[in-house]
Formats: sequence, structure tokens, C-alpha cells
Amino acid sequence: MENRKDEARALPRTMLIVDDDIINRSILENIFSRYYRIEEAEDGSEGLEKILSNPDRLCAVLLDVVMPRMDGIQVLRRLHETGLTDRVPVFLITAEASDSVMREGYQLGVMDVIGKPVIPYVVLRRVQSVVELFGARERLSNVVELQQSEILEKARRIVELNQGMIEALAAAIEFRNGESGEHVRRIHDITGYMLKNTEMGEGFGPDDVDNIALAAIMHDVGKIAIPDAILNKPGKLTAEEFEIMKTHTVQGERLLGTIPQLRESEAYFYACDIARHHHERWDGRGYPDGLKGDEIPVWSQIVSLADVYDALTSKRVYKNAFSPQRALEMIQNGECGVFNPRLLDSFMKAEPEIRKLYEK
Amino acid sequence: MDKERLKAAGIDADGALERLMGSEALMARLFRKFLEDGTFAALLESVNAGEKEEALKASHTLKGMCGNLSMDRLYRLFTAQVDLMRSEDWDGAAAMMPQISAAYEEAVSAIRDCFG
Repeated sequence: MENRKDEARALPRTMLIVDDDIINRSILENIFSRYYRIEEAEDGSEGLEKILSNPDRLCAVLLDVVMPRMDGIQVLRRLHETGLTDRVPVFLITAEASDSVMREGYQLGVMDVIGKPVIPYVVLRRVQSVVELFGARERLSNVVELQQSEILEKARRIVELNQGMIEALAAAIEFRNGESGEHVRRIHDITGYMLKNTEMGEGFGPDDVDNIALAAIMHDVGKIAIPDAILNKPGKLTAEEFEIMKTHTVQGERLLGTIPQLRESEAYFYACDIARHHHERWDGRGYPDGLKGDEIPVWSQIVSLADVYDALTSKRVYKNAFSPQRALEMIQNGECGVFNPRLLDSFMKAEPEIRKLYEK
Repeated sequence: MDKERLKAAGIDADGALERLMGSEALMARLFRKFLEDGTFAALLESVNAGEKEEALKASHTLKGMCGNLSMDRLYRLFTAQVDLMRSEDWDGAAAMMPQISAAYEEAVSAIRDCFG
């Protein structure tokens, strides 16, 4: 916190007096030297140079109008062009306080036009109130900037925390299946890869991809509602047992709906859909809703395929691990469900990279 | 500092001191600078030679200087002369020179006596 305060810009304390008359400069320097560090310039060109070399050090510029080489209005024009009259308050101190000079001065962004010969308490007040105003504005914007970056940092930590909790929940459920958290992580990675690197990810921005990959982690949370005897049965399930097993889809969706914090997450919508539909089939013979073809949202299709591929290439209670080639064969042959041909195509192309996830 | 002497010469010493935030040291320094300044000589020369632009510049500069130092009598005179010059009344401007010279000499004398 202290480091951030130091980083906030230090307020400028240098005043530049630009006037060809040394008596004028002396008078102004005498008035303001108690409050600011004073720099002087004898004509417009020197003044302009001194301003442009480092404008941030200046808290005010006192500018005469009638000067050799470059007059005050010409200096002002250059400052206005570069937007400096918004950052550094400029005051015209002039005997020529005519209408036209005043009008052009104000149009070019001077804060005030003060007549010569000066009255000290007048010029002091008029200059100081503006300098203080600029200072207060700068301090305020520093504070706002500070608070903004603190808020962003907190938001980032909250997102991290959410993800951590979701992963923990999913991993815990996997443990019950006798699996490790690796399956869940691989589904997340495969889903993310497919969305980022194949045409299946068209139309999804980086935030969408992150949310979908996160949601994919929770595709099997519904299995917590399935009895152990069925979940971990080594042999083939009976018809009744299979019906119960199938309910892990809708149970998963229901479970996700009961977690209030999850409902506020952007991934929630995807998570519910994926939990419910990751066992649908392209030919309409999947469950629970029998969705067909493009009725099945892309994200659920991808998770569905990733889940099958991972199941085939991993050891499970009911089978050994197949080789990647064998797994691909079985998928292509329709031995493990029916998939979108376009999706299969993309997956085949991506598989060599995906396979590397298993070699870690 | 003999303020009465200065006042008699058309110089508002208190006014000058106020502008200089009460610093008598700065006042002495700046009045001495006035004595060394060559603009009045330049004004005389350019008026005599009929160099209008130079004359206007000189008169304007002197006006500013006298204003700063609260040399009120000369300030009023130079203000009038600058106005005449700006309205192209060069004869009128030139005609002011005797009056201006007299006031100038008086002021210079008083300053020399007070500030050395």
C-alpha cells in the first residue's frame, strides 16, 4: 500500500516567469518566491523551450505578451496545440489587457489575464487559487487511480478464488469415483484447446473460452448423487442401474443450481448446460433430452468428445487404458457414440497436440 | 528613505514598497536599475530622428517601468504619449517631450539622492 502511494505523481512546485523586462521579472519573483521555486525566461522562445523540456515540473507559467523573438500569444498558441494549457495553468501578465488580447488568450486556454503594473495581493490570489485547484485535481486523480487499481486487484483475486473452489469441488467428486483430479484437469485443457485452436471455437472470445473450460470441469458433479455400488461397479451395469447412472446429468444441473455463489459466475450458464447435455448424441439417441445434431450446443459437444477420448485413453475400474490410436479408431467407427463430423474433423487435426497433455 | 522627497518628484514610495512586498533592499536595487537604464535616451533620439516605431517602443517600455515603480507622474505622461503615438498624432507626441524631460530629470534627481 505504501509503495503505491510513493508511485503517485509528486505535485509540481516550479513557476516559470516569462518577460523581457527584468524589473517585471524581479517584481513577480519577489512576490512568488516564498511559495514556489522560480525559473525565468527573457523572451517567448526561451520560455517555450523551458516549458517543453519538462512541463510536468511546472505548477504555473506567468507570460508577458509583448516580447522580442516570440511574443506571448505565439507561445500560447504552441502550448494550446500540444494540449499543455490543460495540464499547466498559464497566466497572461500584461499591460496590453485589450479586448482582443484577452479574447484570444482565453480562447487559447489561459486561466487568467492580469494587468500590469501588478497589485501583489491580487496577482497572488488569482494565481494561487488556480494552482491549488490544479493540485487538488491532480491529487484526486491520483487517489482515484490508486483505488481503481486496488479494486482490479481484488476482483482478480476473487476470480482466482472462485476457480480454486470449483476445481476443488470437481476433484473431490472425482476422488469418490476412484479417479484423481487429473481427469477433470484434462477435460478442462482439451476443451480450452479445441476452442482456441480449431474452427469449433469460432465466435468465442477469450473470456468465453475461459468460462467454458472452467464449466467443463463440473460436467460430472452429478455423480455424487449416484450410489457407490453403481458408480464403482467393475462389471456391466444392468438396465436399471444404467437408468440411475444416466441421472447424473440432470442431478448435476440441479446441484449446480443450489450453489448461490456459482449462479453469479459467468461460467454458470455453460456449466449447467454441459452437466446436463454431455451425454447427448449427434444422432439424437443420447440422454437425457435426446437432442439431435446442432440442437446440442457446441460446448457440450466438445466436452462430450473430450470425455470419451479421456475415458478411452485412461484406466478405469471397468477397463484398461487404450492407446491413442485405438481410441481414435473406436471414435471414428462410432463405437463410442455418434459425433458431429465437423467436430471429429477438428479433433483429429488437434489430437497430436492434445495427446501431449497425457505425456506430462 | 525620504518618502516626501520622492513624493515631490511624483513617485509614490509607499505604493512601490507595497508592490515589492515591503522589501526596501529590492526597492533600492530596482530604482538604481532605473537610473542605469538607457531607454529614455533612446526615446529622445528616435523622436528627434522621426523614427516612429522606435519611439513608440521606447515610450511603451518607459510606461511599463514607471508603472512598476509607482512613478505616477511619469506613468501618466508616458500613457498619454503612447496613446497619441498609437493614434498617429506624432506631432502631439513630440510636443510632450519638454514636459516629460522635466519630470524625468526631477525624478532622477530624487532617486539619486535617496538611493545613491
